[in-house]
Amino acid sequence: MKRLTFISCMVIVFLWGAVCAYAAPRLTVPESVFDFGYVPQNSTISHVFWLYSTGDDTLKIINVVPG
Amino acid sequence: MLAVGDSTRLEIIFSTRRYKGQISKRPKIKTNEGPPDKFVQISSMVTQRPDSTYPIIIEPYKLDLSQFGEKVVKEKKFTIKNVSDQNLKVSLVSMPDGLFDFKLPKTIKPGKKSEGELKLIKEAYGDTFEKSVTIEVTDAKEEATRFTIPVKRTIHVAKASPDTTVNSKGKGSQ
Repeated sequence: MKRLTFISCMVIVFLWGAVCAYAAPRLTVPESVFDFGYVPQNSTISHVFWLYSTGDDTLKIINVVPG
Repeated sequence: MLAVGDSTRLEIIFSTRRYKGQISKRPKIKTNEGPPDKFVQISSMVTQRPDSTYPIIIEPYKLDLSQFGEKVVKEKKFTIKNVSDQNLKVSLVSMPDGLFDFKLPKTIKPGKKSEGELKLIKEAYGDTFEKSVTIEVTDAKEEATRFTIPVKRTIHVAKASPDTTVNSKGKGSQ
């Protein structure tokens, strides 16, 4: 009985380790393109994009590089 | 840091400066997800003549809610002129949250003008900002054209200068 419990625990630990090893962050941007259309010169405009963490690990946003 | 299932907003601010014509920008978002990096993309048609666009002309083409003094500038009206020969449907595409309410006409007949209005909400009376509102007009053939109206608010309140104060007896200092 003790042996069976030990084996069960080992299996659980192994499976948990495997899940952690494959856990990966994932960024999803559902609307990643926005068209402002006609815009006057010499003006400042803005738009908000929503970013979602859809992986199975914490997502770290390191920086946003202007393009 | 975004926990699994969480979301956040990313505001992209674009200054059109002296750009002309079709301009696209593609900021890169670097995360711990690893390569390839993700992008968002904005595109615009920067025009030197916002007073002669087609199929509508927005007047004024920029809305300034700037305040000079204590009196709050709460609203701005603007007109949209349909310069095409078709009935146009007008709709709101995008505007910032929690700053103002925006009223648009639903349709504009060919050659006619209609009025729109932007009203600052009470919670934003103390705010300064540079944002924008994007609208879309659609013709009978379902062809859509977008226009973005920049909206700016600054607050300039004059501070009382010590030189201008008068003593309680109404006499100046000697």
